[in-house]
Amino acid sequence: MKRYRLLVIALGGLVLVLLGLLMFGNLNSNLVYYLTPQEALTKKAEFTEGRRFQLGGFVRANSVVRAPDGLRFVVATGTSPESPSIPVLHRGAPAQLFQSGIGVVLEGSWRGARFVSDTMLIKHDENYAPPQSGGEQR
Amino acid sequence: MRLFGHRLSIAAGIAVAMALAAAFTAPPDALQGNLQRLMYVHVPAAWIAFLAFGVTLIGSGLWLWRRDSRHDRLAAASAEVGVFFTGLTLALGSVWGKPVWGVWWTWDPRLVTTAIMFFVYLGYLALRRATVEPVARARRSAVFGIVAFVQVPIVHLSVLWWRTLHQPPTVLRPGHPTIDHAMLAALLLNLLAFTVLFVLLVRARMRLAAAEQEHELRDGERELAGAAVSAPRLKGAQQ
Repeated sequence: MKRYRLLVIALGGLVLVLLGLLMFGNLNSNLVYYLTPQEALTKKAEFTEGRRFQLGGFVRANSVVRAPDGLRFVVATGTSPESPSIPVLHRGAPAQLFQSGIGVVLEGSWRGARFVSDTMLIKHDENYAPPQSGGEQR
Repeated sequence: MRLFGHRLSIAAGIAVAMALAAAFTAPPDALQGNLQRLMYVHVPAAWIAFLAFGVTLIGSGLWLWRRDSRHDRLAAASAEVGVFFTGLTLALGSVWGKPVWGVWWTWDPRLVTTAIMFFVYLGYLALRRATVEPVARARRSAVFGIVAFVQVPIVHLSVLWWRTLHQPPTVLRPGHPTIDHAMLAALLLNLLAFTVLFVLLVRARMRLAAAEQEHELRDGERELAGAAVSAPRLKGAQQ
């Protein structure tokens, strides 16, 4: 019984340490799921050409152009026209819900000033409304 | 037939039928179209997982306090149902994620913490299987059931703490739910139907566990068949 109690205390301690690390250990830079265009631009020196990372943001309205080598569009941190943005060349298949204005997470790397991606995920928001209601429609 | 008897089964049937009707008649989403209807089963499944692990927490706490085997059975039954619904949440989320996000699975904090919760509670069920002695089993699983509950708030808040692909909460958020009223009504009806179903499942599982325990006790009183034969011994071995 004593040994079992020791085991419980040891495991409990381990869980607490892990939790503490997760919450206060500043692991965020390693755990972060995607970089916003603003972060990607400021950390550009860190991510050399060919080093893959995930870039997440909003597809800027009316920036989508279908080119022979892929899909060209601009990804911005926010939806306002002056928020930091990165031109993207997407070489993979576009996601089913891809459209101008929607949130995307792209996987790829820098090539010059352009981000070249081959995988696209759609990040939709928590708003749900029927088509005709106007307000949140995109 | 304790606790509502057949009435609960009838209520569950009616609630599920109404919820299904509501899920199919609610308006489609502007962006996702009919794919959004998966919400009416994915969200309730996740809610039942949280509720079930909450009931396991309460059952475990009550057992440590009162030492009544009924509370142990409640914790065990609820955990079993919770593991099933966590698995269902992951599967349904995957089915929703493929057409909408573009992938079945991604290493997103919400998805990963949910999967960890699934496996930890599978561990809870394994612990129950691994310990034969009823009181030791109840004590160990009660401690496990209380500690493991930490994950529920982590899973729920993961979308706010970390950057995720999964969207933040729609209903359980400060301020007004960001969902159309007809859709919200359908979602709430489905939450109710799943909750009634949860009570029904836990009740059935607890009844089964009580019968099992009774059977075990009766077995203990009966003389073992092995008592009729003597164990073989090596010649010249020490007695």
